[in-house]
Amino acid sequence: MNVRLVLLFLGLVTMGFSQDPKRLSINDKKAPANTEDMRAIESALKGSLATARKATVCLELGQGSGSGVIISADGLILTAAHVTGGVGKEITAILGDGRKVKCESLGLSSDTDCAMAKIIDKGTYPYVEVDRSDLSKLGDWVFSLGHSGGYDKSRGAGVRIGRLVKVADSTVQSDCTLIGGDSGGPLFDMSGRLIGIHSRVGANLQQNMHVPIREFLRHWDDMLQGQFLGEGPFAKKPKKGTGFLGIGSEDGADGKLRVTKIGRESPAETAGIKEGDVILKIDGKDMNNKDDMQKLLKEKAADDKLVIMLLRDGKEMEITVRLAER
Amino acid sequence: MKWHLSIALLAASCVLVAGNETLESEFRTNGTLMHGVVERARQSLQEFSAVVYDGRKEIAYAIVITDDGYLVSKWSELKSAKELKVRIDDQLYEEVKLVSGDTQWDVCLLKISATGLKPVVFAENSKADEGTWVIANGATSRSERRPMIGIISAPSREIPAEGGAVLGIEIIEQKGAIIAGEVPEISGAFKAGIRKDDKILKLNDTALKKRDDLVEFMKDRKIGEKIEVTYDRKGKQQKVTVELQGRADTFGKEASRNDQMSGDVSNRRSGFPRVLQHDVQGSSKTVGGPLVDLDGKCVGMNIARANRAESFAIPVEELREISQRLADQARSK
Repeated sequence: MNVRLVLLFLGLVTMGFSQDPKRLSINDKKAPANTEDMRAIESALKGSLATARKATVCLELGQGSGSGVIISADGLILTAAHVTGGVGKEITAILGDGRKVKCESLGLSSDTDCAMAKIIDKGTYPYVEVDRSDLSKLGDWVFSLGHSGGYDKSRGAGVRIGRLVKVADSTVQSDCTLIGGDSGGPLFDMSGRLIGIHSRVGANLQQNMHVPIREFLRHWDDMLQGQFLGEGPFAKKPKKGTGFLGIGSEDGADGKLRVTKIGRESPAETAGIKEGDVILKIDGKDMNNKDDMQKLLKEKAADDKLVIMLLRDGKEMEITVRLAER
Repeated sequence: MKWHLSIALLAASCVLVAGNETLESEFRTNGTLMHGVVERARQSLQEFSAVVYDGRKEIAYAIVITDDGYLVSKWSELKSAKELKVRIDDQLYEEVKLVSGDTQWDVCLLKISATGLKPVVFAENSKADEGTWVIANGATSRSERRPMIGIISAPSREIPAEGGAVLGIEIIEQKGAIIAGEVPEISGAFKAGIRKDDKILKLNDTALKKRDDLVEFMKDRKIGEKIEVTYDRKGKQQKVTVELQGRADTFGKEASRNDQMSGDVSNRRSGFPRVLQHDVQGSSKTVGGPLVDLDGKCVGMNIARANRAESFAIPVEELREISQRLADQARSK
């Protein structure tokens, strides 16, 4: 008992007094004292800006757009749950240099506005360091980036400066002004480490809310595996039974489930399913008749993926279909 | 001893995690404690910026450009003022003449009768890259200008006119001719004398037969460009010069969701050949004044509060040229 408490105590001490060599020294002053302090803040920001800007992306999906930030060379992106809106969505990311790449949304936490996405196109991408030790504190100088109002090539991601003015467990507030389009964009400390993701604003110019990085770290593995966490309000769980495949089928006399019709511009057509194909399995389950398939589709929602095993001209083949919204 | 200490620390750490920590307002980016740090810049605002009033209402700021009373400000914010007054330092000037203006940049020249004013000190250039501190007028009292601080947010660039530049005529295509529908009073066309039902024959040397001819002609035109318009009114041909304006400025525009989020923004906020973008948190009433650096030198003139996160300033190179030109024209008259 005694030993455990002492360990805990030691742990707290090291946490409380841990030195952060990259920490901007002005952060330990209540306010900058003179022009030199102001210049120190400015030069720290300028030193971090180029890398931060390259990794800040505009995310386009459906009618709207938001922002995000790349955090690994292979293209893992952190953004807001209300930007991706769901798991497995197709997204176009516009990189700092204007290049467009394909992405897919991974998991999200719908009650705190965290989400992940992944660039599908193979490549090496510019990325930023994540503040995994959660070192930022109330009053720290910070800067925000984002594609305010959508992508603008001649502008790029606009930078704004501020301080952390409120710190709570699942939300931090800064006085870096945000607007629509910035959602999902990054908040950085002055060494360019990612400390939060833009989420929402209040009526007052000083009310700019970000999801702190610790909230992402808490759900990291679940999100990476594509889980939909929480019950909202930042994203709604897709309703089962809303997935649309777009085929007509009939139970053949030979006991096989045969495709008789393909809807025009349906997910089935896009994926390459053809009239006359025989459906053997979906997601590894045997499909013997229409009932089997309908039962399975009832459990699926828009954006879900199905792996369909087909028989065509005597050959077995596998096709992946992404369901649309019914 | 160890027991007590560890429990105390545990309790303290709980408060830190669960508590809602808030930074007092004076420590925030635009808090009062920051004013002292930018005192040199504040001094400049005190000396060469002016508060512009309509009667007793503050409507904009201006920049003193000569010691004998010429000032520049944002034209569109002053146009409808009935009783222009300005205050420089703590001195109120009740007779203000709106002398002239530049449509393209939305800058106007004001004249008060004064001597010995301290004119603006221009920075050598506006090559302030992103992240550079800038300071502008915030709230003001009778005797004291207060600073608001921010940084340069993006590369300097053109802000094309929202919806393009227009003559300001609603176009009706009728039997191979272009007829003017509504012509808003604030449009360039109305000011040049064009009215509803006039038949528009030519723009410069381009004859108009159908709507597409006009669309093609207007493509990539800029605000402030002058177009020679030949029109027919009841069989009589006339030729006038129309200065182009922004579509949103002429015909109005529905507020977007971002506009609703932004509060008080400038009416004219697009169609500028080049601007500096910064994040100083102003309103439509804080534009027209100088944007200064930490040394108190003027790097530009605040020309638009565009939205919640973006403000625009005319860079010092262009500002210097516009001010010089308007003042020279006024003196030579």
